[in-house]
Amino acid sequence: MSVHEHQPHPVKLVIEDDYRRNRLTVFFRLILVIPHVIWFFLFTVWIILMSIPNWVISLFTGKPPRWFHDLMCAYVRYQAHLNAYFSLVGNPYPGFAGEEGEYPIDIELPAEPSKQPRWTIFFRIFLAIPALIVSGVGLTAGGGQAYGRSRRRSFSTGSGSLAAVCGFLGWFASLALGRMPKGLRDAGAWSIGYTAQTSAYLLLVTDRYPNADPTEMLAGVERPPRHPVRVVGDPYDLRRSRLTVFFRLLLTLPHVVWLLLWTIPAFFAAIAQWFVTLFRGTPAASLHRFLTRFVRYRLHVYAYLFLVANPFPGFGGAEGTYPLDLEVAAPERQNRWKTFFRIFLVIPAFVVDAALGASLYAAAFLTWFYALARGAAPWGLRNLSAYALRYDAQVQSYALLLTDRYPHASPLEGEDEPAE
Amino acid sequence: MTRQRVAGVALLAPFAAAWAVAAWLLWRSSLPAYHLPRLSETALFPPRVLAEAQHFSSVERLLWLGGTLTQLAVLGVYSRFGIRWMRESAAGPVGTGMLLGMIGFALVWVAELPFAVLDAWCQRHNGLSASYAEATVGNWLALGSAFVALCVALGIAMNLARVRWIGDHWWLPAAPLFVGIRTLLAFVAPWLLGGRAFNAPYVAKLEAIEHVHVPVRVISGLGEPNAFATGLGASRRVFLWQPIVEPPFTPRLDSFVLAHELGHLAHNHIWKSIGWYALIIVPLAFLLSRVARRRGGMGAPEAIPLVILTYVVLWLAAQPLQAVVSRHMEAEADWSALRATRDPAAGRALFERFAAVVKEDPSPPTWDYVFLEDHPTLLQRIEMTQYWKG
Repeated sequence: MSVHEHQPHPVKLVIEDDYRRNRLTVFFRLILVIPHVIWFFLFTVWIILMSIPNWVISLFTGKPPRWFHDLMCAYVRYQAHLNAYFSLVGNPYPGFAGEEGEYPIDIELPAEPSKQPRWTIFFRIFLAIPALIVSGVGLTAGGGQAYGRSRRRSFSTGSGSLAAVCGFLGWFASLALGRMPKGLRDAGAWSIGYTAQTSAYLLLVTDRYPNADPTEMLAGVERPPRHPVRVVGDPYDLRRSRLTVFFRLLLTLPHVVWLLLWTIPAFFAAIAQWFVTLFRGTPAASLHRFLTRFVRYRLHVYAYLFLVANPFPGFGGAEGTYPLDLEVAAPERQNRWKTFFRIFLVIPAFVVDAALGASLYAAAFLTWFYALARGAAPWGLRNLSAYALRYDAQVQSYALLLTDRYPHASPLEGEDEPAE
Repeated sequence: MTRQRVAGVALLAPFAAAWAVAAWLLWRSSLPAYHLPRLSETALFPPRVLAEAQHFSSVERLLWLGGTLTQLAVLGVYSRFGIRWMRESAAGPVGTGMLLGMIGFALVWVAELPFAVLDAWCQRHNGLSASYAEATVGNWLALGSAFVALCVALGIAMNLARVRWIGDHWWLPAAPLFVGIRTLLAFVAPWLLGGRAFNAPYVAKLEAIEHVHVPVRVISGLGEPNAFATGLGASRRVFLWQPIVEPPFTPRLDSFVLAHELGHLAHNHIWKSIGWYALIIVPLAFLLSRVARRRGGMGAPEAIPLVILTYVVLWLAAQPLQAVVSRHMEAEADWSALRATRDPAAGRALFERFAAVVKEDPSPPTWDYVFLEDHPTLLQRIEMTQYWKG
């Protein structure tokens, strides 16, 4: 059993959001957020100044003073509230002081400062770099890039792509529906949670390293309905062969070539399937099988390339042959309108997919070093990558007419998955 | 002698005869029976140029020796322990074989990296253009292509070996397939190389003399003065590397270089190279099939580390044969260039310049000549110009 099951992270994301969004405040969100941006800038400068004595005192005493701890907690919470409001993960206008329990997207932090190993305090800014990379590349709120040019601030307001994309797409959806789609909300919330954990670690609120595992981050959130395209695999399968990790790029080359070759018939098969589905209302079973194999093979290759799985995959995309596998439901009747406009409908999903792809690259980059050192993949990054691959497989399946169910951006698996 | 062995020898005899006849047909050339005059390298090259070239070449030889021994050592160890990485595969027997093959290649690549870096250092130290990035990871496209080629070769051999009625006789259909792929690559490669057109006034004249009309192109971004002819049929091309069309190489010397490359095409050397490849690959594949049987046959991934080692050893063993064939073709191309340009002085100046510019030893030791030299030595080439002059 993993240590993660026994010791929950001390920095927790608390979600009490009901998805409803006020269209008026959504429409003017960029303007409404301006006072907060100014205040956040000032707050950040203050935190930078205070973090220096906090670091020095903590180094001597082994734990941060109470006053500093509370200040840093308030900052982490405020940052989360603001990010949530900006990226439409939260609806109400947030307060300016990072009050606890006052916002539907909140961060639960340790009430008391705790003892921390002095060497981790000393090297904290260096130790935080991998988390900052993940946070900066894929997880933090895109609104952060407008907040100024402070060097230190980059840890909390990197130009992350995922939350930015969720906010951007959520803006249109919220205006149209008056609700934030669950998938985008969950993805955005998770990015905010990870940013909060990173900030808390950097500001000495806790010595527990940020955990990128989306399932643990959103533990209290209701699961989305089951999607017909699912990724199955053992999340505890973390062993990695150091030798094959070291040469992973080279070893994947034949698969990349084969995948490129396979893409050509898959492209024409998808066109044929489009006509069949449009006229019959149901995809052709043979083309469905072929395209399913293609998407599954793609998943196997990506899982190998991005270190989400250990063994060298086969070249056939056969079901049940790889530790990270794809389950696709049998062909079902599809809505003709959705089929006709599929190429346009899939565009937003491709945008989210690209944002998640950035996280995937960052996670693979970090996993490479970790796996070489430890002979295992880190739990959190492995599950982050698995989430990115699952979404990618759903996008591909939607684009290739394997299903007409839209890809679900939520990091959580479908409802009838056994809880981890 | 068992009946099976007698049958084997009976089969081998006509095969060996056919091999010899084919080799004789491929060996035939337009070269006259000649006796090169003996020239002294000290009389031809300035002492400083000679000393530098000999020193540089000796270091290069040592590096080659070190790299080759390291390669053999790594593959030797890998052939013993490589199968432990079978558990890192979920790809079935053929995919697992590919993985084992690639890991072996990757280990060799890493083990040879220090020699590549030393080689780059040595070249830079001697005033030649070489980059450390190029020596290590800069040539990633070639490295990646080698990995893919290895997988294709293993995929063909293993899949054939796994066909019940082919089994250990996989080499019979595999060898023609390898030759076919080699031919296809020779046909396609020129179109992938690019380059800009080279329109010197002497091109058309030389093409008319050699009865070869092909595009001549210049490739930039390469540090060494060199040229090569490639392609089959419609894809035939001559490629000049940028440094050879720049000073200190003059148009007169370049015309000799071009005539040499056109000579390769005029005498069908690309086709002949493919023919020689076929003559080598057939017995080589046969021997590999024999070795693979010790570990369950070519269809079993367990055999791959040993097969890779054997392949490298056999290829090294065949190197003298390949070198002598290559030298023979190069000599014919030199002869063709002399006939086309009627300018032995240009040929001599060109070869003298090579010693100074690329630090090539005009007269290397015998073992180097036998194993590594795929061109006649600079001294032999100058001697040929002297012989042609009369």
